[in-house]
Amino acid sequence: MKLRKLSAATAILATGALVLSGCTPDGGNDDADGEETTNGASSGDAGMAEGQQFTTEPEDTGKADTDLETKDDEISVSLGETEFISYNGFTPESYSTYNSVVVNRVLEGFGYWGTDNVWYRNEDFGSYEVTSEDPFTVEYTIGEDVTWSDGTPVTVADYVLDWAYQNAELTNSDAEPLFNGISQTYGERVPEGPQGDPEGKTFTIEYTEPYADWEIMVNNALPAHVVAEQSDMELSELVTAIRDADTEALEPAAEFWNEGWFTDPGTLPEEELMPVTGPYKIDNWQAGESLTVSANEEYWGTGPGTERLVYRFVNDGQHVQALENGDLNVALPQATVDTRGQLERLQDQVVLHEGEAATWEHLDFNFNDGAFSDSLEMREAFAMCVPRQQIVSNLIEPVNPEATVLNARESLSFEDDYEDIVAESYDGTYDEVDVEGAREILEAEDAVGTEVRIGYSGPNPRRTDTVAEIKASCDEAGFEITDAGSEDFFAPGGALETGDYEVALFAWAGSGQVVSGQNIYATDRPQNYGGYSNETVDDLFNQLATTEDEQEQQELIVGIEQELWGDLFGIPLYVHPQLSGSDITISNVRDTASQDQIVWNAEQWQRAE
Amino acid sequence: MYSYVLKRLLSAVLVLFGASLLVYVLVINSGDPLLELRESNAENADFLIQQRIEFMNLDEPWYSRYWIWLSGVLGCAVGSCDLGTNINGQDVGAMVATSASSTLRLVFLATLLSIIIGILTGIVTAIRQYSSLDYAVSFIVFLFFSLPVFWAAVLAKDWMGITYNNWLREPQFSWTQILIVAGIAAILVPLIVGGSARRRLLTGAAMFCFVLVAMPVLEALNYAREPQLGPAVITAIGIALAFGLTALLSGLKNRRVLYCALIVVGLGLVSYYATFWLLIEPPGGWLSIVGLFLVAIAVAVIVGRTFGGHAKGQAVAVSVLTAVLYSVLVLLDHFMRAWPGFLGLKPRPIATIGSSSPNFSGDFWQVSLDQGTQLLLPTTILMLVSVATYTRYTRSSMLEAVNQDYIRTARAKGVNERTVIFKHAFRNSMIPVTTIVAFDFAGLIGGSVVVEQVFGWTGMGDMFVTGLGNADPAPVMAFTLITGAAAVLFNLIADLMYAVLDPRIRV
Repeated sequence: MKLRKLSAATAILATGALVLSGCTPDGGNDDADGEETTNGASSGDAGMAEGQQFTTEPEDTGKADTDLETKDDEISVSLGETEFISYNGFTPESYSTYNSVVVNRVLEGFGYWGTDNVWYRNEDFGSYEVTSEDPFTVEYTIGEDVTWSDGTPVTVADYVLDWAYQNAELTNSDAEPLFNGISQTYGERVPEGPQGDPEGKTFTIEYTEPYADWEIMVNNALPAHVVAEQSDMELSELVTAIRDADTEALEPAAEFWNEGWFTDPGTLPEEELMPVTGPYKIDNWQAGESLTVSANEEYWGTGPGTERLVYRFVNDGQHVQALENGDLNVALPQATVDTRGQLERLQDQVVLHEGEAATWEHLDFNFNDGAFSDSLEMREAFAMCVPRQQIVSNLIEPVNPEATVLNARESLSFEDDYEDIVAESYDGTYDEVDVEGAREILEAEDAVGTEVRIGYSGPNPRRTDTVAEIKASCDEAGFEITDAGSEDFFAPGGALETGDYEVALFAWAGSGQVVSGQNIYATDRPQNYGGYSNETVDDLFNQLATTEDEQEQQELIVGIEQELWGDLFGIPLYVHPQLSGSDITISNVRDTASQDQIVWNAEQWQRAE
Repeated sequence: MYSYVLKRLLSAVLVLFGASLLVYVLVINSGDPLLELRESNAENADFLIQQRIEFMNLDEPWYSRYWIWLSGVLGCAVGSCDLGTNINGQDVGAMVATSASSTLRLVFLATLLSIIIGILTGIVTAIRQYSSLDYAVSFIVFLFFSLPVFWAAVLAKDWMGITYNNWLREPQFSWTQILIVAGIAAILVPLIVGGSARRRLLTGAAMFCFVLVAMPVLEALNYAREPQLGPAVITAIGIALAFGLTALLSGLKNRRVLYCALIVVGLGLVSYYATFWLLIEPPGGWLSIVGLFLVAIAVAVIVGRTFGGHAKGQAVAVSVLTAVLYSVLVLLDHFMRAWPGFLGLKPRPIATIGSSSPNFSGDFWQVSLDQGTQLLLPTTILMLVSVATYTRYTRSSMLEAVNQDYIRTARAKGVNERTVIFKHAFRNSMIPVTTIVAFDFAGLIGGSVVVEQVFGWTGMGDMFVTGLGNADPAPVMAFTLITGAAAVLFNLIADLMYAVLDPRIRV
């Protein structure tokens, strides 16, 4: 008897718990249907938000021209749980978007990425112009009043060091590069380095051949005077040693550059070791918890809108509640339907920024092996049956109602030149699903029942769903789609390497560079995983890499796109959606597609009275 | 004995070696550390991949990678530990130091509280087996035990965090809220107190009226924003404690014990005034508070021994417990004094993330309150989930002990019930519980992956998960080494404790 009573009570309480769980803050996006209209965002702006206030409305996708007084206030932001690493974010180990979001606030440079991942000049910091086409030469001028926070002016010497760490020619006795730098392109393309008086403000760099991505080659630099001091050299000695490639003299400087700014989590280097040129300086680091940057009193320009900016390292699944509780003021939660619903529920408290990241999903064929490797007809048949619009409608639109099918590879849908490039390179053949047409091709090719393994790096629910949508449509056309998602798809020995796949489903994280596609589409390049080869494409990329004129660049990209569509290198699907939230009282928060993330204009954020 | 310990320690080293080898091989085969770079479209992605391969020795076979790691760790024997670096070049030794301290802060209090509460409820439910209290406790404890932590944590953040903070802006009770709380109290308290139906009814009615009066009074006093105890309330509670503890542990008939407890309360009141100004800004922070706490215990011991007479043992126990609880009340009083000022600095006191507010500055009490409020939610969640184990373990081993022959003998020879329960049954029932307590303390250092993640603490669990996600062996190995060593060590301690507690076992 007692037992029966107990189990009855248990049942009642358990039901109650289930009902309660139904009431927990989740989804609830069904009430959002139709009422979401976005406005107030300029065209081409990747991030849009209703209810966002601006002290100055932005005119383009760059920073608005605000004039703010620094307010003694604190704004907390989180981009995820990945921790800050170092003031020197230019080594392969420390370079990550999570480190750059801090470093780019404290070290200012000649330009920055706008919200649509387009490069803008930072005229306050300095200017640059092409002074000669042959040899391709660029002259940089650093602003007269631009100084480090310790009072030392920013000079050519800083940019000589900037070149040195990217120069693989400076080697130690083991013939390894002295500096553990993030890239070696600068040294390869500009063998002589920046020319000019090391104490002056103007330098020129001379390229061996014109270079498409020349604008982003030189940006922010680390303080050469600190490196010189820490390695017991005069600044002029350091510059001379670099220019003369006196590697022996450079060794202590390189050692400091490689290690001096790296500290244990939670401890920062001495303040005099990390002077800044930007509106903020690194102030306080609590390991695993937060990093605070505070206003740089010695800033040469107009100060930031808010005294302190706190980066908190919090898992993105926790962002919405933290926003609601005010623990975070700006956050970048996971872009899911649930998150969207939660943020909409908080609409009187939080501004929802919806936008797109510079990451795009695509299906790539395997040209080395398998059914698609040497048959354009088969590739066409597959492309005809892939329900791209349906994939976007079912999987992406719930998160970003503005999402569209992506029809290009070298330009993303939020970019300015996207429409033009698509108009000239893609005729809309694969807009509509044509199962009948696909079946006809398969029958003609006598290939009904061809197995197509779609590989991706799993577990990834969205990709599993994508494959399911493709399977539903393409199986009807006569393919036999297999979900070949596995954890080691990309890993050494995984399907991508062994070639055990017909179609690879994955995303590229765009960098904003013009020529980065060369690594993917040109013959025998490291990221050309499918083994695609087309002489015209190779040739066009070679031209593109050495073209600095934007108009010519766009024409070449159209040519490349035409070839890639013609050969069906692969099928672009969509641009990844991105959601962020910011406290409704904070003005000037704008989301961006670039890797600088939502903090790209953090110095303009300010809490309204 | 010594040879036994030595033998166990030697085998521990072998176990750790085997475990480390196994885990190392598993970790480096668990994923692809280059994954993010393979999907990067950056022009220098290939260069970065090369750099990372070189940095992480990915081109070396597994045994040579393991050897590189092992030789660094073996350096510990000669005093130069090198636990390696993680994928970002950060020193894992330093990471472990910060992670372990954050984990210990998070889990220590929760484990301690769940042990105390679990054992207490276990004893009570065992004594009153098959009562409605027993059923209610079993049900609640199992309900909490089966809660998914991440889900419970999200609910706790919503209700105890966000809703509470919103409420705290203008703390008011509606009549519905008061009636609900009164109703719950009227049902729960008689359940715990027990007794005849008449007595339960009376307790219930009394509780109902009490809440009905107390909540509006608290609201009128603005107690949520300006709570206070004051010396009068503290002393009243202290006297009640003195009587209660005496009744529980030795019986009110034992006047000497009661007097000792009352003397301790009197001395407590004196010391409340004596230390008041010292504690406004305690020199050395927690150090001086712990020091005063130890002094209080010492005084209580002296009081017990001096005035305890023939019941010295019991007098000391009751005095010390009274002193401890009285000290806690005094501490609480000081925290309450700091609360309004703290609310001025942190208007929404319960945060949903982090172990402390960044850039928080205030006096000692305010900083401690900040850390305490940050701890509140995760500690509650961890405690609710783990209290079940202790309750059930204690209950069953207590029941087993109560049914033993020696208990019947004790009762037969006229030993009073209190002595039977505390001296004969409780002591013996603690022997198996010691083992799980030891295990749980070993598990402490491993942290709680889910709770750390949900509350944004970077502890050992987080280090492990992040390392595993990146297929980055050094942090995972550091985690394995430390948790493994703790497990082996506490296992050994549990075995030794067993021998001490249980006279039947000799090693």
